[in-house]
Amino acid sequence: MKLKNVAAAGAIVLASALALTACSGSNNSGSSNSPKPSDTSSVDLSSLSGTITAGGSSAQANVQQAWTTAFTQQATGVKINYDKSQGSGGGVTNWLAGSYDFAGTDAALKPEQFTQAQTAPCGAAGALNIPVYLSGVGIIYKLPGDPKVKVTGQILAQIFAGKITSWNDPKLVAVNSGTTLPNLKISVVHRSDGSGTTANFTTYLSQIDPTDWTWAAGTAWPNNVGSGQQGGSGVVNTVEAGSGTIGYADQSSVGSATMADVQVGTSGSTFSTYSAAGATAAFAAAATDASQGAGDLTKKLDYTKITDASAYPIPLLSYDVLCKNFKDSTQGKLTAAYIGFIGSSEGQQVGAANAKAAPLPDSILAEIKTSLADVK
Amino acid sequence: MTESAAPRRMSAKARPSDRIFRSLSTGSAVLIMVILAGVAIFLIAKAAPAIAADWTKGDLASGTTAGHTDFWTYTGPLIWGTIWSAFIGLLMGAPVAIGIALFISHYAPRRISGVLAYLVDLLAAVPSIIFGLWGIFTIRKFLLPFQEWLNAHAGWFPLFGGTPSTTGSTMFAGGVVLAVMILPIITSITREIFLQTPRLHEEAALALGATKWETVRLAVFPYARSGMLSAILLGLGRALGETMAIAMIMSPTLLFSLRLFTDNQNSQTIAANIALNFPESNTLQRDALIGTGLMLFVISLIVNFAARFIIGRTGKTGGSKKKVPALNPTVALALDDAASPLDALHPHASSAHPEGLKPSQPEGPRA
Amino acid sequence: MTATAIPNAPAPKRRIDNSLTSGQLPRLFEVYVLAGALIVSGVLFAVLGFSAVGWLVVSAILYLLFVGIFSAVVENRRQAVDRLVRGVVVIAFLLALAPLLSTLIEVISRGAKDALNPAFIFQTGGSHYDPQTFKVTTTIGAWQSVVGTLIITGIATVISVPIGMLTAIYLVEYGRPSHWMNRVVTFLVDVMTGIPSIVAGLFAFSLFTLIFGPKAFSGFSAAIALCVLMIPIVVRSSEEMLKLVSMDLREASYALGTTKFVTITRIVLPTAISGLITGVMISIARVIGETAPIFVAASFTNNFNSNPFANAMSTLPVMAYTGYKFPSTDIQGSYDSAWGAALLLVILVVILNLIARLVARLFAPKGLR
Repeated sequence: MKLKNVAAAGAIVLASALALTACSGSNNSGSSNSPKPSDTSSVDLSSLSGTITAGGSSAQANVQQAWTTAFTQQATGVKINYDKSQGSGGGVTNWLAGSYDFAGTDAALKPEQFTQAQTAPCGAAGALNIPVYLSGVGIIYKLPGDPKVKVTGQILAQIFAGKITSWNDPKLVAVNSGTTLPNLKISVVHRSDGSGTTANFTTYLSQIDPTDWTWAAGTAWPNNVGSGQQGGSGVVNTVEAGSGTIGYADQSSVGSATMADVQVGTSGSTFSTYSAAGATAAFAAAATDASQGAGDLTKKLDYTKITDASAYPIPLLSYDVLCKNFKDSTQGKLTAAYIGFIGSSEGQQVGAANAKAAPLPDSILAEIKTSLADVK
Repeated sequence: MTESAAPRRMSAKARPSDRIFRSLSTGSAVLIMVILAGVAIFLIAKAAPAIAADWTKGDLASGTTAGHTDFWTYTGPLIWGTIWSAFIGLLMGAPVAIGIALFISHYAPRRISGVLAYLVDLLAAVPSIIFGLWGIFTIRKFLLPFQEWLNAHAGWFPLFGGTPSTTGSTMFAGGVVLAVMILPIITSITREIFLQTPRLHEEAALALGATKWETVRLAVFPYARSGMLSAILLGLGRALGETMAIAMIMSPTLLFSLRLFTDNQNSQTIAANIALNFPESNTLQRDALIGTGLMLFVISLIVNFAARFIIGRTGKTGGSKKKVPALNPTVALALDDAASPLDALHPHASSAHPEGLKPSQPEGPRA
Repeated sequence: MTATAIPNAPAPKRRIDNSLTSGQLPRLFEVYVLAGALIVSGVLFAVLGFSAVGWLVVSAILYLLFVGIFSAVVENRRQAVDRLVRGVVVIAFLLALAPLLSTLIEVISRGAKDALNPAFIFQTGGSHYDPQTFKVTTTIGAWQSVVGTLIITGIATVISVPIGMLTAIYLVEYGRPSHWMNRVVTFLVDVMTGIPSIVAGLFAFSLFTLIFGPKAFSGFSAAIALCVLMIPIVVRSSEEMLKLVSMDLREASYALGTTKFVTITRIVLPTAISGLITGVMISIARVIGETAPIFVAASFTNNFNSNPFANAMSTLPVMAYTGYKFPSTDIQGSYDSAWGAALLLVILVVILNLIARLVARLFAPKGLR
């Protein structure tokens, strides 16, 4: 606590020094043109105006761009700045500090963060986790001749743990009957930066094969296998530029890279490749309610429950987090209108058309609408 | 030598403009102290909670800082990686940079040296993000065969050993990009300094029958020493603090390693680690990253301190003392004919004392 | 170092070593050797399997070997060393030119498509949404980033250059080298060069949150972050250049009865102007390409914003970085605009450089080489 004061003192010393050089800085905190009050259930978008400042999950980078365009084309008075460079953790950190109106994050607020939000920035009413973006982690690879490869969860765990090191390993050959796999070293490519995609993928590995994948799930890549690359695009680039490479990436950054078919469940011969419908089916099967408070829509994904043949086994769910009670209620209305648009069927269609997202089930969309009605 | 006090003694007149200017420049110097004090206080205050915290539980035991017992086991490899990568970059970049500066200032034909100088200045202006992109798309692929060859034939040498990289994201690739990045900085500054060498010194050496290289070694280098060191330190500063290019190119691991050609044994640098993990970190993890930034601060402090100490030790030739070599002002005048605004006033000022040539030896540090 | 050592460095063995009396190689000797080295190494690689890089490297080594040996045998050791060094210096130059040219060629060839398109430069990047198909189409444009870059770097320069130069003037002209403040400032400037750019961004942003509250994202706070990075470079390079102005110029000026202020502004600064400008350009180049502090202090936006005191602002390096790191589903299009932004940045720097050179020429004294 004391140290914070020292930091403040240091900065104040600076502030006074800056007064020498900087003539003036206008007060830009939070004030925005006040839109006419309107009813959230059927917002007249064209009456809205102001600026929404947000940031977080880079998995949402493309979809937010699309949503922003679609939304601001109707709400012409609104500007939305979504900082995708922050990442999920940074988005939540900045949001907790009060810098953002909402944060995009690949993991719902942890219980302690949820409690922390009740002091700042939200007040006693607390925060809402709103699921907005459903996608999947794709397993991408590059082999000479581009054969279609199938993998099981166990094989994935062993490859990414460094236990399977060659493409013609008997285990890979066994599930890929009919495909000739080259005698090539496997070059694992993973993220070098902390990432929600990594958290999702390592959670999947640790749930599906805890004997081979002995590391805890987390945003940082835990072991020393393979080559680390910055960002989803770095992984995709490096996989594409190499030979015998394998990596993982969120659908929005996969591009034209070849994706492997992943086994559904832990046994059987059902393999599925990513599709929006597959992700939706997986979500329906895996998601259980883990609400942390009234209106909160935190979902828990249990990958082992995904057994339906039509489902894609590694779904990725991303949230937007916002306060129930904004300090500035016009800003609250504005933000709720935007999230409401995202959670509408039109918003989900926009995501599907522009970022390969899977539309959330209608039941979830109805829940989103109810939850957002309380935001003010 | 007493010359340090000379300018003060000579400024007899003091007009208001003088006083204002003087207090302005003093004020700026004070302002720098204040800014740095602010940054230092900020860094220390932010870093302290993470340095003091228990890393085996809570925020620091998960996410981007997971798996370390305390701050020092986390920072140790990062400090090593920072120094090692900067060293590799400097080792490759600095000699070449000084070579180019020498080429432009003394070897290249007059007519093209201006163009070359401009080209290098231009390259000093290429922002680091571009070198990062260039590293990703061009240099990784280009260096792969060379790395594989050295690894296969000289793998016994610790630096070249290990499993060779298949992706090209190696410490060596990062070092090459660092070298290319610091090269124009060092070159533009050393070139300017080489050009400022008093021409009479050089002409005197040539007249005595020295070859070009001897002239450079005996007349140019001693004069330019402090400036060269400064230029190299600026380059080193950039190499130590380079963020995005390293983050984009190198496949990092937190360990102590000398290896240059592997995918998974490249020691991560502090700045790149901050850039990679900052976005995904929560408050305490960010504090830990700022703590590593504090260590970078300390590293550059020690490096600079050591460099100044060394240059101070290896002869009193460098730096400001060099600029006023003789106590006798006529000698001083004659020693330096660098074209000056005064030439217009006194066209013969510099050639008026040919006897000044004779005692050019006070320069000699090893005399 | 002593002059007496120069004329009779090696003890005369056969006869006095002197370029007039000792053997001399033909004038174009080095060209012949170069051709020889290229051919020998070419033959070598023709046998081993051709590789352009290996060919050039081996040629360079052979060239140095031949030149050294021939010259040492026919001429003398001193000439041999001189020729060797000449070879090394030229090779260093060519060696360095390769990556630098490669960088430029890459940026130009990949970026020219977008960057030379006036629409890309002068249009704010935007996107259009079609409610029928739900498709969002993006239109390219970098105007918001061009303006942001100019504003943020401009503010940083306007603040840093005076502070940096005045400090350098203080260090060289006013402070005694032994004075505590001189030492402390020199030391602190050294230390400041070691601040990681992202920390500078954090520092500036934290400072502004204290003043303006948590939503302090603005171009101005990014500019302050850049100042922290820029000032030490300006001080360092300016100090070095001012030190090089020979003392006799100052003394001569004082002798004419001028004040210190006049001496500094009329004599010292113009003499050093070329070097000072180089230093300033290096410092601008160093910060104009920063991304991390911009993200931290000015956030990110696709929107046009010309007010440095409020809301997020974009810059060209940020645009290049996000285009590479967060490509849209049209990955190639994103890369193209990333390279376009990168090239635009280089062009901007070139223009600034030209202006700076012009200014330097305007103020430089006549006859300065």
